[in-house]
Order: sequence, then C-alpha cells, then structure tokens
Amino acid sequence: MLGELFKGLGTTLRYIFKPPVTVQYPEVKRPVRERFRGRHELKRFADGKERCIGCSLCAAACPADAILVVPAENDPENPVSHGERYAAVYEINMLRCIFCGYCEDACPTNAIVLEHQYELSFYDRRASIYTKEMLLAPPDKGHGDPPPILRELQRRPSPPAQIDL
Amino acid sequence: MADVTITVDGVTLKVPAGTNVVDAARMAQIAIPVFCYHPRMKPVGMCRMCLVQIGTPKLDPATRQPLLDEAGKPIIAMMPKLQTACTTPVSEGMVIKTQSPEVKFAQRGVLEFLLTSHPLDCPVCDKGGECPLQNLTMEWGPASSRFDYTDKVHFEKPVPLGDLILLDRERCILCSRCVRFQDELADDPVLGFDHRGRNWMIISKSDPPFDSKFSGNTTDICPVGALTSSDFRFRARVWELNPIPAVCTLCPVGCNLTLDMRHERLMRVMPRENAAVNDIWLCDKGRYGHRFVEHESRLTTPLIRRGEQLVEASWDEALSLVAEKLEATRRARGGAAIAGLASPRLSNEDLYLFQKLFREQLESNNLDHLTGAPGEPAHDDLGALLGVGKDANLMDFGAGDAVLVLGADPEEEAPLYVLRLRSAVQRGAQLIVANLRPTKLERSATRAARYLPGGELAFIHGLLRELLTAGGRVTVKNSGFDDLKRVLNDTTGERLAERAGVAAETIAAVARAFGEARRLVIIYGAEARSAGPAVVEALGALLALSGKAGQPHSGLIALLPGGNSRGALDMGVRPDARPGYAPLVRPGLGARDLWPALREGQVRAVWIAGLDPAASMPTARTALAEAEFVVVQDLFLTSTAQLAHVVLPTTSVAEREGTYTNAERRVQRSRQARGPVGHSRPDWQIFAEVGHALSARAGKQTPRDDDAWDYLTAAEVAAEIAERVPGYASVTYGALAATGKPGAWGRQANEAIYYDGTNYENTEGVGIKLPAPVLTGAASINLAPRPVPVPAEERPLLLLSQPLAYGGDPLLRGSKLEQHVPAPYVALSGADAERRNIRSGDLVRLDSAAGSLTLPARVVHDVPPGVVLVPADLPGVELAAVQTGPRTRVHLVKLVV
Ligand code: SF4
Ligand code: SF4
Ligand code: SF4
Ligand code: SF4
Ligand code: FES
Repeated sequence: MLGELFKGLGTTLRYIFKPPVTVQYPEVKRPVRERFRGRHELKRFADGKERCIGCSLCAAACPADAILVVPAENDPENPVSHGERYAAVYEINMLRCIFCGYCEDACPTNAIVLEHQYELSFYDRRASIYTKEMLLAPPDKGHGDPPPILRELQRRPSPPAQIDL
Repeated sequence: MADVTITVDGVTLKVPAGTNVVDAARMAQIAIPVFCYHPRMKPVGMCRMCLVQIGTPKLDPATRQPLLDEAGKPIIAMMPKLQTACTTPVSEGMVIKTQSPEVKFAQRGVLEFLLTSHPLDCPVCDKGGECPLQNLTMEWGPASSRFDYTDKVHFEKPVPLGDLILLDRERCILCSRCVRFQDELADDPVLGFDHRGRNWMIISKSDPPFDSKFSGNTTDICPVGALTSSDFRFRARVWELNPIPAVCTLCPVGCNLTLDMRHERLMRVMPRENAAVNDIWLCDKGRYGHRFVEHESRLTTPLIRRGEQLVEASWDEALSLVAEKLEATRRARGGAAIAGLASPRLSNEDLYLFQKLFREQLESNNLDHLTGAPGEPAHDDLGALLGVGKDANLMDFGAGDAVLVLGADPEEEAPLYVLRLRSAVQRGAQLIVANLRPTKLERSATRAARYLPGGELAFIHGLLRELLTAGGRVTVKNSGFDDLKRVLNDTTGERLAERAGVAAETIAAVARAFGEARRLVIIYGAEARSAGPAVVEALGALLALSGKAGQPHSGLIALLPGGNSRGALDMGVRPDARPGYAPLVRPGLGARDLWPALREGQVRAVWIAGLDPAASMPTARTALAEAEFVVVQDLFLTSTAQLAHVVLPTTSVAEREGTYTNAERRVQRSRQARGPVGHSRPDWQIFAEVGHALSARAGKQTPRDDDAWDYLTAAEVAAEIAERVPGYASVTYGALAATGKPGAWGRQANEAIYYDGTNYENTEGVGIKLPAPVLTGAASINLAPRPVPVPAEERPLLLLSQPLAYGGDPLLRGSKLEQHVPAPYVALSGADAERRNIRSGDLVRLDSAAGSLTLPARVVHDVPPGVVLVPADLPGVELAAVQTGPRTRVHLVKLVV
C-alpha cells in the first residue's frame, strides 16, 4: 500500500526535473510536421499564373462539401491560368472543412495544398468562408513550370489529367 | 417481321429479324460498347468498338438444313475474324460471344488506340462526368497506355463550328455521329469531314457556319467532348447540376426538357426523353432560348402609375388597387366594360383562373389570347375537335401511314416536327407536303405539291373529289355532307386542278395515298390558317372523307403560335366559348374588336397578361394610352407595360409549376426549378388573389371551397380543371407524373451505352393525351363548305407574314440566339423584282388598303411570283400598319433614295 504511494510520487519527482512540454502559445508556436494539414493555399506556377484550372474536382472529392468553384473561360490575351479555363470563384468554408486533404489528392495541377497555418477562428460564420484572394499564394511565390508541351504549342493548351506537374 | 432465335453469351432469345447484334444483345441485357452506332441512325461501322465473335450454323449445301453434331446440336461455324456488331444483322441460329479473350483484347486495343491521340484533359472538358469515352475506358479499356504521352498530336482549340457549337479537334474520335445526325435526321447537311489521317477533322460547310436549328443535339450524341456548346461552356461540371423536369413553352410541340440548375442558376437545358413528343431531341430554340429567365431586366416588384411615373409598390397596394378599379368599373358600367388578354404561353392553370375571374367575378366575356393584330387568323377549334386520337404517335408512324403537311413551315413554327416527320419517312411513311411556297420539309416529302396562292381550297377540294368518287364515306357524326357532295359534283377534277395549279395526277395520287393509308395525320400551320377557316374545315372534311376521322391514330394537328394556344382554347380564354369549347350565346369582344371598343370608351379597363400588343400595333398603343385603367402582368417592362397603370411581375416557366397542352393535345407538367425573381408571383396566384379580393368585396364568399379563390398550389387549380373542364377529367398532377407501365417506358438497364451522360431518361411523367371529342361521340363535325369571299384583287401582290423560329420573340433575349434574329426585310420573287427593277437591299414600300410599310427588299428566287413575305413579329416592323387581315393585297413601290 505504502509502497505504491511512493512509486507514484517517484514518477512525479522524476518529471519535476524534465523540461516542460507545454509551450507559451501564442507567444511561442510549436513547429508542425511536414505533412501537417492546415489551412489551404492556392498555388501558382513560377511564372505567376494560377495553377487552378477551375475543374471542381477538389469540390467533388470533398466529403464535407466545403469547396465552391465557379469556372470561367480565360481571356486569351490575359489568361489567369494556363489553358482555357480558370476558377472565377474559389471558396472554402473552413468551418465545414475537416482537413482531410482529399482536395489536394484530387487536384490535377497541385493547385490546392493544405499548408501549415492552423490558426483559424472567426467571429461569425460568414468569416469562415475563405475566398480565392485569401487562399491564393502571392504572385512571386509560385513554383514549378507548366509542362513544356503546354507552353510550346500554338494553341490554348489545357493541363492534362495524367501528367504530374 | 419474323423473329429469329439467337444465342448471346449462352443466353438464347428471340429477336425481330433485321435487328443488329448490338440491339439484340441489349435485349438479353448484355452491353456491347459502341461509339459510332446510335439507335436513331444507320450504322456505319467506323469506330470498331463493338467487335464481337459471331458464328452461324453450318448448313448442308444440299438441303440448306443446319448440320448437326453427335449430340444433335447444330454445328456453329465461327467467323474467322471479329465482326462489328452494329453493322451485322441477326440471323437464325446465330451465336454471339461478347466476353471471350479475343473480344476483350480487341476492345482494349481499340480504346488504347483511340486514346493515343486524345488529350485527356477531362478536368476542363465539359463532357467530363458524362463522357462515354471515360466510361467505356473505365469498363473495357486498358489501365495504362503503352504510348508516350508527350507524343500526342495537338491542335489549336477550340475551333468554332458556328456561334453555338465549338469543336475540340483533339478530342474528336471521328465517329461521324454529328455528321450523320445533320444529314440523316435534321436534313441540314452542314457538317462534313476534311483532310486525311491525323489531320482528319470535322468542318462546317455552310454559310453562316453550322446553319441548323438542331445543332445542339450534336453535342448530346457526340460520344466525347469534341462538340460542346458555347451556351454551357465552362459553366459548371455536370455532376453539380440539378436537373429539373420542365416543358418548353416556346413552340406548340411542347418538348420535354430539363432545366439543369446549380445554386438557383440555370446552367443548361437538356432534352428529356418522351417518345410521343420530342423523342430524345431538342431544337436550338428550346435548348439555348431559355436565358430570358435570368435576364437582368426581369421585373421584380409591382409598379403603380403615379402621374407620369411607374413607381414601386407592394403587392397589397397593387392588388387592392386592381380589385378596387375593376370592381368599380363593373359596378358603374357592367362587366362588358372590362376586357382581358392572356398570353398563349401561360399555363393551363393561369388561363383557367383568368377566364374564371372574368366570367364569374367580373361578369365579362371579353377574353382572348391574341393581341388583335389584323394578321392573326381566327381561333382554331378543329385541331381539338378532330385532333389526333389518344394513341396517335408520329414516332410509330411507318410503312402504310400517311402525313399531310399543308400550309405549314414546321421548321420555323414547330421545329421538332421536322425530325419526327423525317424519321417517319425513313420508316416508310408517306409524307405529302403542300404549300404555296417552298419549305425545307419539302425536301423530305415523298410527294410535294406547290399550289398557287389562293389555290389551297381548290387543292383540298380536288382531293375531296377524288376521295368521293373513290367511294369515300364519313364514319363520324356530321352534318352538311350533302352540301359538300353537291359542291364537289358541281365542278370537275380538271377545273379544281387548274385552280390549284397542281397537276391532276398529283392530286389523284395524293388522294389515293390517303385512301390506302392505315393512319392519316394532317398538320397545318400559319399559312393554311391565314387562308381562312374554310381551308381548315376542308382539311377536316378531308380527314373525314378518307375514313380516318375518329380513328385513335389519325387526326388533325394545328400548329398554333406560342406554347399553349391549345390550352388557351381548351380553357376558354376566348370571347365566344367557355372551357371545353362550349359556345356562348352572347359572346364578348375578342382581341381584334377590343382596341376600337377601348378607344370609343365601350371598354374602360383592360388586363393584359404576358402579351405585348403595343409593341407592334399602333392602334393598341393609342387605345391603351387613353384607357382608363390598364393592368399588365409580365416578365419584362414591355411597351405595353409602360402604358399600364399597374404592372405586376410574374414568374417565368422556370420559377413555377404548371401544365401545358401541346399541339397534339398532350397535357404535360412542368416543375419549378428556382425561386421567384424578386417579389414576382406565378400568374395563377395573382388571378386567385384578385379573385379572392373581388369575391370578398362582393360578399359572395360561398361555403364551397372552389369559389373561395383560396388555392394554395397550382395542383389545386389543376384539380379544379380536371373537375370542370370537359376532356381534362383525368388530368391531375398525380396522373401526369406517370411514365407508363414499368418496362414499357424508360431506359433499359444498359441503355447508357448509347445515350451516356445526358438527362434523357424521363422519370417524371410523359403527360396525358386528351381524347378528341369526335372520338368519344361528344361532337359532330360540319362538312358543309362555307362560301369563300372572292377578294377584290385591285392590288397585285399577296402579303403573307412568315413566322420565324428566331423571330422577334421577346423571350430570346439574353440568349445567343438573339444574333440569329434577322434584320427586317420583305422577300419577293425574282420575277416580281425584275418587273419593278428592285434589287436586294433596295427600300420598298408596301401599300395596302390599311396603310403602308417601308422595308428593305430581299429577292429570294423560290418565293412564288405574286407573293411577298415579311417575317412575323420582328421587332420594329409594324405589320399591323399594312395588314388588313391574315392575307393582304398590296402594291409594291420602289423608293428612290
Ligand atoms: S481538406 Fe477535405 S474537407 Fe477540407 S476542403 Fe479539402 S477535401 Fe474538403
Ligand atoms: S481540383 Fe485543383 S485545379 Fe481543380 S478546381 Fe480544385 S484546386 Fe482548381
Ligand atoms: S472527351 Fe471524355 S475522355 Fe476526352 S477529355 Fe473530355 S471527358 Fe475526358
Ligand atoms: S465531333 Fe463528336 S460526334 Fe462528331 S465525329 Fe467527332 S467524336 Fe464523333
Ligand atoms: S463500329 Fe460498331 S459502334 Fe462503331
């Protein structure tokens, strides 16, 4: 009986000398894992064009029906994305999202990526809807080139479904 | 045809001889994948997707009997190579294998090969999600390709084939479905192939490009996303759409369609299968002409005139003002001082309540569904009285049946009839097209007759005479047969033929065809009706004398303007009859008499629902401007609405429930696809509310529910119609939702292999065909020919207004079809033009007894001499200024500028 008590206190004693695991959030922020799924970001290619082609596959894959995509046709003079089509409206309702990452899996152009931002709080429900402007990466933060066949051709190319960008 | 016994994958079944192997396999619930084959078109064997193994019994060369093996079974000789199932007809004892390794290998090979040059840009392809290529690849294709992705051929895209249809060359699998549809079904051979090999492509051969009123159907049957419409391009993904079953109200065919909605927005319009109406097709007007429902100029709130201004008001204000004014007018001057016009686009519920409101609350019979323009022909009763029987279906007309199209241009008046009549001809039916000018349908006719202007009656009398001498009898209740006989016996066939301007042999041959036909349908349209009721009555006599009146499969079809003119006539929105064609002893004023009466103060208050007489009629404009009280109920602030004292916003067909009666008297139900725009309300509801207010005011609220005007839904109005309107007894919303016996309707389990990706299937009701009153013995027909007034021909030319599919319909607004509305013109023959030294583009003035009209001339070689045509209802053309009636004699004067 007494032995057990000292055993328990012993554990307490041992932890007194260990460094604490709690952090002083929000002053201190814990780093997240590489594959952490936080708030989405809509990516761009290195040339600044949006990767999203408005295909709605993310919305189709989303189990929570959190995504709204309204597509539109690119103006050939001033295209928003490579190819014929872009997302005129792109919204994610962060209150609906369950951060499963299916949208990221579904996206044929790796446009929607769940990033490391996890501070999502809102004063009202409307504020939980992130619009395209809020989700888009800054124009100078694009990465990767559109595949050569799409750039070389004398046509208005569309990113195909099957190749890895 | 006799049945043959075949075996598909071990299943033995009997199928009709002549069936091809794809269709035969489907009867055994076995799907053979196809790309180029389409059940509505002849097989061509272009895609090789349908390869199967086929064997036939070995025959003894001497006896032609099947050789038997030891077990007593016929020995089957398999063909050495795979066969295309779509081009192979079944034969007795045929054995078909669709699952063998050889077949699977071939199917995988065909798909892999098709995909070598396919861009696979499914994410941005409008067909994605309903794409047969996607689906067949998932089910029958290889999982991966051996071809290098970067080796694919690429082309510039999209290539516009016309302003409505875009071609994506990379996606085209060259199945030729689109080309064959245009050639075989639409008879607009405007598509073709160009180049060879990898550069092989679909092109449009016509000018303007893709000049067809059926072009949208090619996007449905294209098995890939090669043809897409500019109307739906990149609007939404197809799986996001919510298809709402509705009925097209733009023409009297009444095609079944779906309004594909996304978030309350109309994304596209698709055909909904109905074998008795539109089969699986839709014309471009129905498909692309529904953008008006979302036009930004839709009215959203009631407006009340205060001084010069129309200012926004609440419904309570507007409706009590309407009730108060109408009631005051009725008290002061009686119901005859109030008149109502309702559009033939409104639903039966609206029209029924409109006439009930007028007849029961306002005690007025001044009702009509026309605008009163002089060009409008008289009301058509025979199309109902002798209407096609309960079982009539042009889609099963074939060998031994006959159709007469007289004085009609179905392509412009009721486009889908072109497809239906052409398919009847392909099945072997006789199609006789008689007109005073050439129409497109004439090309498809088995026999065409071109009578002289004014010769239509002689032509029909010629036919009647032939039928009479051949011993024709009338089998339905009738009167005046002896008069008819006398008139016909007083003349000779030659004289009639000469007056008609048609060869006597042609008349004899047509009459013979009618006499011999098992079933006969007579279709007539604007041109026939413009010649006066005598012509329509003679057509009725023609039906009767060929012994077809009262037959369940035969009858008359009148092509009336608007989607629901027949409903308006059935509901009694006319001055001279109550619902169900019950004539009134003391008829009220029709639309034509209304305008003078309004000017002279006999009529003080008018209610106009959905019509715009002020747009094209100067007389209506002045009368309305001076009228005491005008209520206009519409979708838009039309010219008429601008003259109103109260403007009430209504809902369009997409925002309401309703039933519509088509040209063949099939009642069909359309459902609500979206919420009302602003504060707009359905027409029936507005009538009911005013009716309620009036009956409350008059203190005549009776305990009976249906007099209390407290309808909650359109279905309640429909139930009252079923109770009170003769002929509509069985037409309730419940009955309208039926799709026939299970199995007798709808798609088979594997029908998707043909029709993939469209909303074709009809699960929401095929409508109810009303019986023709003569069939039930409820009516009798009058055969006595009426004396035809001989027009004083002091002016040399006959002016006809020509209805156009893409005319000045206000409902085309907001759609891509607006660009297809022609600029005003008057068409005249080369001979007449030459005589007057007129060239296309010259300004000419038409002078009639009524007035004159100036238009640019267009010399059209196939207009008959002596006739000038002006498109009806074009914006800015006031035909009413020059017309003295449906047919007007005019002078043509070239203006020198
Ligand atoms: S992470 Fe999952 S729930 Fe959130 S938007 Fe993407 S698919 Fe939807
Ligand atoms: S799946 Fe990707 S490309 Fe398609 S809409 Fe979503 S983010 Fe855009
Ligand atoms: S046609 Fe079909 S397979 Fe081809 S890109 Fe379009 S959806 Fe994909
Ligand atoms: S455009 Fe479509 S329907 Fe026409 S040939 Fe090509 S794949 Fe066939
Ligand atoms: S070859 Fe038979 S379906 Fe194309």
